Amino acid sequence: MATLDRRQIGSILAKQGILIAFALFMIVFTIANPKFISIDNVFSVVRSSAILGVMALGVTFVVISGNLDLSVGSMMSFSTIVVLDLHDKIGPLLAIPAMFAMTLCLGAFIGFLVGYLRLNSLIVTLGMLSAIHGLTLTYSGGQNMDIADKEGTWFSVFGQGSALGIPVPILIFVGLAALLGIALARTPFGRKVYAVGGNGTAATFSGIKRARTVFTCYLISAGCVATAGMMQASRSLGSQNTVGQGLELEVLAAVILGGASLLGGSGTIFKTVIGVLILGFIQNGLLLVGLQFYVQFVVTWVIIILAVWLDIAAKRGKLFSHIA
Amino acid sequence: MKIRTILAVTTAAATLAGAAYAESHGGTMKIGITQNNVGVDSYQTTYEKAFIEAAEANDMVETVVLDAGGDVARQIAQMEDLIQQEVDAIIIWPTNGEAVIPAVRKAHQAGIPVIVTNSNIAEQGFDFVKSFSGPDNITQGARSAEIMCDKFKDMGIEDEAQVVHITGQPGYTTAIERAKGFEDRLPEVCPNVTVVDTQPGDWNREKSQQVMEAFLVKYDDIDGVYAGDDNMGVGALNAAKAAGREGIIFVGATNFAVGYEAMAAGDYWGSIYQSPVDDAKAALQTAIDVLGGEDVPFLNYFDTPKITQDNMDEFTKPVF
Repeated sequence: MATLDRRQIGSILAKQGILIAFALFMIVFTIANPKFISIDNVFSVVRSSAILGVMALGVTFVVISGNLDLSVGSMMSFSTIVVLDLHDKIGPLLAIPAMFAMTLCLGAFIGFLVGYLRLNSLIVTLGMLSAIHGLTLTYSGGQNMDIADKEGTWFSVFGQGSALGIPVPILIFVGLAALLGIALARTPFGRKVYAVGGNGTAATFSGIKRARTVFTCYLISAGCVATAGMMQASRSLGSQNTVGQGLELEVLAAVILGGASLLGGSGTIFKTVIGVLILGFIQNGLLLVGLQFYVQFVVTWVIIILAVWLDIAAKRGKLFSHIA
Repeated sequence: MKIRTILAVTTAAATLAGAAYAESHGGTMKIGITQNNVGVDSYQTTYEKAFIEAAEANDMVETVVLDAGGDVARQIAQMEDLIQQEVDAIIIWPTNGEAVIPAVRKAHQAGIPVIVTNSNIAEQGFDFVKSFSGPDNITQGARSAEIMCDKFKDMGIEDEAQVVHITGQPGYTTAIERAKGFEDRLPEVCPNVTVVDTQPGDWNREKSQQVMEAFLVKYDDIDGVYAGDDNMGVGALNAAKAAGREGIIFVGATNFAVGYEAMAAGDYWGSIYQSPVDDAKAALQTAIDVLGGEDVPFLNYFDTPKITQDNMDEFTKPVF
């Protein structure tokens, strides 16, 4: 390491600003309460972050392609309620694919509106946020949905099971992150996503089918949401209609925290994962420290803004910008 | 079924009162209701159904049933519509305890008696309201404390037990009142039990599960969990089960079907039985009594009894 000069270290730091911020928070929270870093706690945080995380993976594609997806929270409630309802009606083996199909239809519909009709994604997905919520309530008649035989179903494996000592939700999250990370970074499709988000017009002139790329991004997002809904349903084996409410903003926060640009064209799956972990560990850390909950709302967002600042500061090599 | 008897008696009495009203007014009474947000949860959905059924069963009552969809502005507009329609009484389930006061005042000035149902409006609006019909949340919190304390005494741990408390959504009247009832009553009945931590679960099972996971890491010794409703209580129970922590006493409020089932399975100790059907019937009855000129108390609470594994067979499983 002695051969690295200051500039090289600086440029390495610049690329990993968010990682440094993450490490910093972990150290501070561990000092505040050593239990924070215990295996039990780390597993429990990653396991409960996994649901948000899986949704964030899909939204990363949408954001990089230059669009937004605010409908993921409602859509997750939808898939959770649907899979729970169908579980008792047609059995888990059929319920899962049926739920995936329905959720993908919603994704395809959004993808069609944004990709092919070129409607503004903010308006479309904001509208779908309410519309899908209404759809869920209509489907369930406003009632909570619960699996009748909670002890006897193998469906609980996705949310509560573990393999080789690692909770299944974490395995799903990591596996999906690896798969989508490769798809984004190492395939022609991934490069198209960046191109469409970076400069849509240029991408079109280079022969990239913009509409199809955007459409596919929304399909991926819906597929992730369906996976998250399945994990959620499996975790609690019962659900309220509002289970995903508000998650769209947390998901977006995680994606942006990971460094994806809202303008499109930049971001990576790995950094989104870091963003998800930061959010999860902040919430858990503040609980362990035992701050009063009104204060937690404030502190959570102070920390998030601080992380974004550290990230940007590392990129430009200075804490403050001179062109303020 | 003691509650049934009480209901039957009050219904009979009210039918008489209603008959007196109908005679003097030469016809049926028209009662309008604007609800908070039907369809958003099972409780409200069941409430609406029960209200409509109760009204249909009564020949002298004609109803206009509206729902504000959780939107204050829409609820205010609905109040104005009901005033325009010249209904005889208005029942309101406030979307917001403060913001609806001007609309309630308007109805009051138009000579239409207003009955508030389920959650009360803010105090400065009390002058414009004939009666509040709903659960007494402070008593509910206190009763949950008693259920928990009694159980600790049975187990012989009333001198060392540690409790964590998961509240409803911060800022919600129901959440605040239940928490207050619990926190005030627990030291009276079990002075040596300590509440080691309090965090909100936002009426949300998943959120509550996460909060409980953190509690389980933070505290090696948890003897009891009080949750502001059964949805959150079951979330906490799931967390404890996943962590393999046994012997924790779970007490909730608003007995939901999931809570009732968990009690039947022996995992969940007790709750407060609050029936949306009773809630809806009580609201309609209060309106009928007010129109019949009866002396209705301003805070017209309906009873919400304790339910535990010991006496649960006296209650039917909640439908929500």
